[in-house]
Amino acid sequence: MTEPAIQIRNVVKRFAAHTAVRDLSLVVPRGTVYGLLGPNGAGKTTTIRMILNVIAPDSGTITILGQDSTSDSILDRVGYLPEERGLYRKMKVRSILRFLAELKGMSRKKADPLIDEWLERLSLKTADKDWGAAKVDELSRGMQQKVQFIAALLHDPELVILDEPFSGLDPVNSQALKDTIVELRRRGKTVIFSTHLMDNAERMCDAVCIIANGDKVLDGTLTDVKAENAGRTIAVAIDGPPSSEISRIFADRSLVERVDDSNRFFEVELQPGADSQDLLRAIVGSGARVKRFELVQPSLHQIFLEKVGAKGVEPGMSGHG
Amino acid sequence: MGKLWAVIKREYIERVRTKWFIIATVFGPLLFAALMIVPAWLTLKTKSAADISSTVIIDATSTGIGARVSEAMRGFGGGPERAPEVRVVPPSELTAAESLATAEVMRKDRSGYLVIDQQTTAGESARYAGRHASSLTAMEAVREAVRSTVLGYRLEAEGVSPDRSRELTTGRLAFRTERITDEGRGGSGAVSAFFGLGIAFLLYMSIILYGQNILRGVIEEKTTRVAEVVVSSVRPETLLAGKVLGVGAVGLTQQLVWVATVVTFLTYRVPIFKLFGIPAPPFQIPGVSPVDGLLLLLFFVLGFVFYAALFAAVGSMVNSDQEAQQAAQPVMLMLVAAAIFIQPVTFNPTGGLATVMSWLPFSSPIIMPLRLSIINVPTTELVGSLVVLLLSTLLVVWLAARIYRVGLLMYGKRPTLRELGHWIGHA
Repeated sequence: MTEPAIQIRNVVKRFAAHTAVRDLSLVVPRGTVYGLLGPNGAGKTTTIRMILNVIAPDSGTITILGQDSTSDSILDRVGYLPEERGLYRKMKVRSILRFLAELKGMSRKKADPLIDEWLERLSLKTADKDWGAAKVDELSRGMQQKVQFIAALLHDPELVILDEPFSGLDPVNSQALKDTIVELRRRGKTVIFSTHLMDNAERMCDAVCIIANGDKVLDGTLTDVKAENAGRTIAVAIDGPPSSEISRIFADRSLVERVDDSNRFFEVELQPGADSQDLLRAIVGSGARVKRFELVQPSLHQIFLEKVGAKGVEPGMSGHG
Repeated sequence: MGKLWAVIKREYIERVRTKWFIIATVFGPLLFAALMIVPAWLTLKTKSAADISSTVIIDATSTGIGARVSEAMRGFGGGPERAPEVRVVPPSELTAAESLATAEVMRKDRSGYLVIDQQTTAGESARYAGRHASSLTAMEAVREAVRSTVLGYRLEAEGVSPDRSRELTTGRLAFRTERITDEGRGGSGAVSAFFGLGIAFLLYMSIILYGQNILRGVIEEKTTRVAEVVVSSVRPETLLAGKVLGVGAVGLTQQLVWVATVVTFLTYRVPIFKLFGIPAPPFQIPGVSPVDGLLLLLFFVLGFVFYAALFAAVGSMVNSDQEAQQAAQPVMLMLVAAAIFIQPVTFNPTGGLATVMSWLPFSSPIIMPLRLSIINVPTTELVGSLVVLLLSTLLVVWLAARIYRVGLLMYGKRPTLRELGHWIGHA
């Protein structure tokens, strides 16, 4: 159990018009919740499809649970929820789940009780209605998503890959999904999900990787990522209206790189190498009454904006990154 | 293997369960039975309609031959036992008599008139005008009556006694055909041509129906995006193979049901026809040797896989049924080209066209079984055509699998031929 869940080495994927993934390397440790973050068109879906051997990389290697991703039956230990969801419309829910379980190498006998268990858990099977006997066509969009979710988890995979799992979910299902991810993590499974919603990632991920334009921008555990980017953001609140002296201090480019001025509240980003104590002294020296002066950890959202904002989002790129 | 089996099972069960399949499987043989019974019934009906006894015979010869023709036409086709009326006229009044008869036919008092004159007794010509002019059976009956009567008349003119001449001219000649092959005599020529046509059309229909079925199946997987889930568990090649085999098995099931029903129907045709009050037509079920049966199956399987793989590749290239119609045209064209040659090959199963069409892989699965059931195809030609078909099928499957693998997850514009080449090269 020492091998990482996923190891990607120098993977490149080019499509006719552009390079979707450029020399990407990353390691997903076992038993973690891992966030694959990036703007639309960054290369998230392409990376995930290469992990699942749905498309082949032009160069580089991918190892899943210690085995080559192209080896037979390794994908039986992986569960996958694609971004674009869909099922055979004319099939009955129970038959489709049975079919997808068989594709993961499960016997029908083993799958059947689990299917019922899951249908009950996600309230698709209640005392008065068994949606398992209904055709996919008859289900609402939300119910179809639940079925797809069951399909990804039915065979109790060691590694679960979810591509934009929160998109299109209502708050109730969103919460249920979060609970399930946390529960999977407790049971020692590895969960990878891609998202561009930083709030979810910040709350759930042990480690993240941010990619933009097919390049890795940063990766590491959330703690490390935050620590690396910490110590330069300071929340400042002062009593009374700010004087022109204050504005002058914040405009001092030797000390302050950027300021988010909300009139009475300021989020200040120090210049690299500048000392926060110098800033505090200058503010006190101006005669202002300081109510709050706090070194804050930047949110993932801020880190993302800072790192990716510079690289920019390639215009016109969206959908399947 | 377990996964391939799961795919085959799904494709098979989901299709066999549909109403469309059940209806087609049950009603196919009924249609066949109707095709056998209705023409027999119609012939029975039309025989009385083609009653030629109300024809007027205009005899301008004064030899009394008109009366003898009338006697020969009596009771034709199960019609009333009555001889046509004879009007003997001098040659100068023939035109007037014809005008009168035309008016009668127009008023529907008479069905037509037959003119017998000097040229008829000379054995050269006779004329008929009337409502049955386009009825082959009626005209054949009239012609036969005139011909045998004139023959008799001329024999008598040569000194043969009337009794003897009647004996000589009224012999009914039944014409039977029998086929001789290397193994000896077997079946009638007409039966094996009928059988061969049936087989060829069955193969053609199955390939079209189930090939398009595969096409639609691939498009469904693409448009519903279920393809992505499936190929994250099995290789696209496995999915393609399972699809072709599963759908092929559905087609085979349907054919077996059809063939079994048809054979049962033909075996018990006498009591069945009796139910409709029609005498059963003489029909011999062609005996198919195990080797021939195996060959037919082999051609069907290879031909089906050949076309099914092509249809699947087309399905993976497009995003909607409308687009598919257009993109599938080259494939359909090959199939239709093969079907167009079914008739000429039936008429001339040993000709150059037949030989060429049995070598080309896109037509051999349809043309070769057709020829096999009509004639004895030389073994070298048979084996050669099978080898060509097998190799072409392998090549087509390989190409289709590569296109399928890339196309299945591609959305947007249909690829150009050049891009297609790129897909094949880089899959």
